[in-house]
Amino acid sequence: MSALLEPWMHLFMWQALLVGLLTATVAALLSCFVVLRGWSLMGDAVSHAILPGVVGAYLIGLPLALGAFVAGLACALMAGSVRAVSRVKEDAALGVVFSAMFALGLVMLTQVRSNVHLSHVLFGSILGIEAEDFWQTLAVSGAALLVLAARGRDLVLWTFDPGQARTMGLDVSRLRLLMLAVLAASIVAGVQAVGVILVVALLITPGAIGLLLADRFGAMCRVATAAAGLSTLVGLQLSFMLNASTAGSIVLSLSLLFVLALLFSPRHGLLRRSTPA
Amino acid sequence: MRVPSAGAVAELLVPFAYEYMLRAMLVSSVIGAVCGLLSGYIVLRGWSLMGDALSHAVVPGVVLAWLVGIPFAIGAFAAGLLAAWTMGALRSRTPIREDAIIGVVFTAFFGLGLFLLSVRPSDVRLRTIIFGNVLGIADPDILQMLVISAVVVAVIAVRGRDLELSVFDPTHLAAIGGNPAAMRILLLALLAASAVAALQTVGAVLVIGMLVTPGATAHLLCDRFGRMLLTGAAFGATTAFIGAYLSYFLDGSTGGTIVVLQGLLFLAVLLFAPKHGVLAGRRERKLERAA
Repeated sequence: MSALLEPWMHLFMWQALLVGLLTATVAALLSCFVVLRGWSLMGDAVSHAILPGVVGAYLIGLPLALGAFVAGLACALMAGSVRAVSRVKEDAALGVVFSAMFALGLVMLTQVRSNVHLSHVLFGSILGIEAEDFWQTLAVSGAALLVLAARGRDLVLWTFDPGQARTMGLDVSRLRLLMLAVLAASIVAGVQAVGVILVVALLITPGAIGLLLADRFGAMCRVATAAAGLSTLVGLQLSFMLNASTAGSIVLSLSLLFVLALLFSPRHGLLRRSTPA
Repeated sequence: MRVPSAGAVAELLVPFAYEYMLRAMLVSSVIGAVCGLLSGYIVLRGWSLMGDALSHAVVPGVVLAWLVGIPFAIGAFAAGLLAAWTMGALRSRTPIREDAIIGVVFTAFFGLGLFLLSVRPSDVRLRTIIFGNVLGIADPDILQMLVISAVVVAVIAVRGRDLELSVFDPTHLAAIGGNPAAMRILLLALLAASAVAALQTVGAVLVIGMLVTPGATAHLLCDRFGRMLLTGAAFGATTAFIGAYLSYFLDGSTGGTIVVLQGLLFLAVLLFAPKHGVLAGRRERKLERAA
């Protein structure tokens, strides 16, 4: 028992848990939209594309979160305009833009020899988070949560039925942009916990678990949040006890929860006794 | 205008004097060509996410192969196929959309790879897997890469016609006795194989650039599929060669330089392509308005 509690004698673990739970909550709420809308590639793309923003912001002395947010949004908008002006499909446009941006970020990083530790951006640094990043993450997550609280209903309507949303007089293209902004914000926050490469897991898997276990959107959000929070806790614990990569441990715990949901979901589980009518 | 001195020209030729640079440039070109060839199929099939997913999913295979002591390419290829199989199996059995299933599976694989790498100290260096290390590529790895590339090209040469039909017109393929489902699996296998081969050059994260951008660029220039494939391969090989060459002077990320170049080439073609470019479209609209 004491071995299990040992990690929690350290202040940095509590700080990591706080940041982890907050970013996981934001990402989990977003993941419900991502999973229902089919935005997995968008999440993947935006999360990679923030790299040059982080390096660029470091170079000119802006908050890293701001640079990351701008670059993430720019990726989505550029891919959108490539699709609009040419015959390249949306998925290929996203692939071209985000891989080029990530590559640019890498080349910039090798040139500037900066303080931005590559491994921190790539795999998160939740155990050694610095005060400035801590506050930036809190601010970004808070803003994303506020937007979701204020406009959540419209976003849900748009997700399930864009046609109906349009008929009701909602500005659909503005909603899409708002969604992209919240997505970028949640990625910027989630990068603190698990880094650029694995943040997409927080943006997809909780929503997929929610979809397997819940029938209504509200319940799906609650399940997703609980799953993301639980895997953050378990992942931190594992990573401390085994001295393993924190990002890897969190994502692995989350994936195991998905497997459990997949096997035992009452309605969709692979092991359910009877097929639902 | 200042004429470049003999010294400046000699400086530009320096990379060719080093054996490791020559090898890096050649290896990169081969990989660039193979990925460029395949990217035509990926772009037209709408498989960007799948390409990114498989190139991440091979990572745990690399680590496990090292732990068991088999060639890394075999482990990586097996992991890629297992991931593709898992995605296919879940697609028909859950209410989750295909893109989300791809996302869940590949992040799980990559997370597992990262976890294994951190708890089992090994020779496999994280940086090499993520970013590739073509400058320090070892002879056995070059051999593995060449074999994989040759197999991929041979398969495309032999089954290219069926693959093409499975992309454009699966019903027709089925009607003439082909098997679209088998072609899907074949294309997935080719994709996994190329991801394995490219791992050494550009690393797991940037393989997606090599697997999408040349094809997308060629798509803007060519109206016939065969020509599009060859153009994509040529773009892939050229950008990879020049990128590896330039990375000597930039003193940094070879994969990054290659993929940035590919992005720039795409941008130029997007603007200036004779028929499908942005400027051509603008000209055409202006002519229409004048008429």
